[in-house]
Amino acid sequence: MHPELERARARYRAQETPEELSLAVRAAIREGERLRKRRRVLRRSLATALAGCACFVLLVNGSPTFAQAVYDVPLLGSLARIFTVTEFTVNDDEHVIDVRLPALENTGYTDLEQQINQEISTRVQAVIDEAEQRAQETKEAYVSTGGDPDDYIPVIIDVDYEVKCRTEHYLSFVIQKTETRASAYTEFYTYNIDLETGRELTLRDLLGPNWMETVNAQVEAQIAERSKDPDNVYWTAEEGGFQGISEDQPFYLNQEERPVVVFEKYELGPGSMGSQEFVIQPAQ
Amino acid sequence: MRQNGPDKRQLLVEHIVNGQTEFYRLALSYVKNRDAALDVVQEAIVKALSKVDTVREPAYLKTWFYRILINEAMNHFRRGRDLVPFEEALAGRAAESRDPGERLDLYDAIDRLSLPEQTVIKLRYFEDLKLEEIAQATGTNLNTVKSRLYKAIRRLKDMTGEEIDHAP
Repeated sequence: MHPELERARARYRAQETPEELSLAVRAAIREGERLRKRRRVLRRSLATALAGCACFVLLVNGSPTFAQAVYDVPLLGSLARIFTVTEFTVNDDEHVIDVRLPALENTGYTDLEQQINQEISTRVQAVIDEAEQRAQETKEAYVSTGGDPDDYIPVIIDVDYEVKCRTEHYLSFVIQKTETRASAYTEFYTYNIDLETGRELTLRDLLGPNWMETVNAQVEAQIAERSKDPDNVYWTAEEGGFQGISEDQPFYLNQEERPVVVFEKYELGPGSMGSQEFVIQPAQ
Repeated sequence: MRQNGPDKRQLLVEHIVNGQTEFYRLALSYVKNRDAALDVVQEAIVKALSKVDTVREPAYLKTWFYRILINEAMNHFRRGRDLVPFEEALAGRAAESRDPGERLDLYDAIDRLSLPEQTVIKLRYFEDLKLEEIAQATGTNLNTVKSRLYKAIRRLKDMTGEEIDHAP
């Protein structure tokens, strides 16, 4: 190293360290631990609730007597239901998070329940982690460009679910995540369960092998119908609007057991149109 | 759901305890005041520990902690200077004491660099971080780190008249 740099380094190293440094460090470690535990309590409540749910599922699986007992109770046995596993709120300088997390029970298909419940919890946790990370980065960027941390408006994240259809045949629900900063952005995940086969429903199951044509024709017709109102603006196919549905187009079932295909905000038209839904009738 | 919690926490605590002298010196080199430097170190530790569960890779703990520490140091700097932007304060200070032809000691010259340039120089030459690590610790990319380092070296050369080689 250059001798001048060596000297600067020596001067840097010679900066005196106060005696109370190690005491101050220990105190800070304790305080950090305390705050960390407070944060973890929230996470743990989520994990515990899910563990409880897994227990229930395992119990049904493992003991025929117990399973029989559950099915003998008319309401419990016959109607699958969605229930709120946990609700929690995180509220700090960087973000406000509200979560209502659903899980599934009494479908009669424990493997399916387990798989879906697992998927829901992993997905929601990933969404929250990602949002937390982003909130922190946004705040760091805000502060490092000269913003006053006290003026920072926290990112608001809402996770909630809505049961769209619950009959003896089908169970359909939608999980939505809304992240609000300057404007709100919503993501959704749909789940549709066929209670007779214990599988996740596809549009093909509902509409037959020509389901794509059926859906495309009806969506196009409904877009044309809605476009008569000058307030409704859809992009043309050339502008990046509707170009046919995708293999894994999200949909849910409405109370009449009809599929409703859903398009995200900006997918078919400008943001002012919001997300778009189309009810599909079975082909004649 | 988070299996590595205790390990990462343990690693971070060890890292902090072992490196406390270096962390204090680094903080002091920004805030130039013993009590303020202690505050900065403490705030950084509290923040890091309470958020350690958000770090995915234990390998990033080291640079991640530097990042928090440097942020805290800079926040302190800004708070201390109230409403006078740092560059302005710096320009004022440099103008009043700078005598044409006067040669500065390299160590004093580092204080006259912009904060991001100071950080690169300190992390590279005093803390012996690799350029990639500096990029992680400052939340910038490698090219930015390189160009900042070369620019800082050029400016130091102008101020001190010393030729500093920059083995990357």
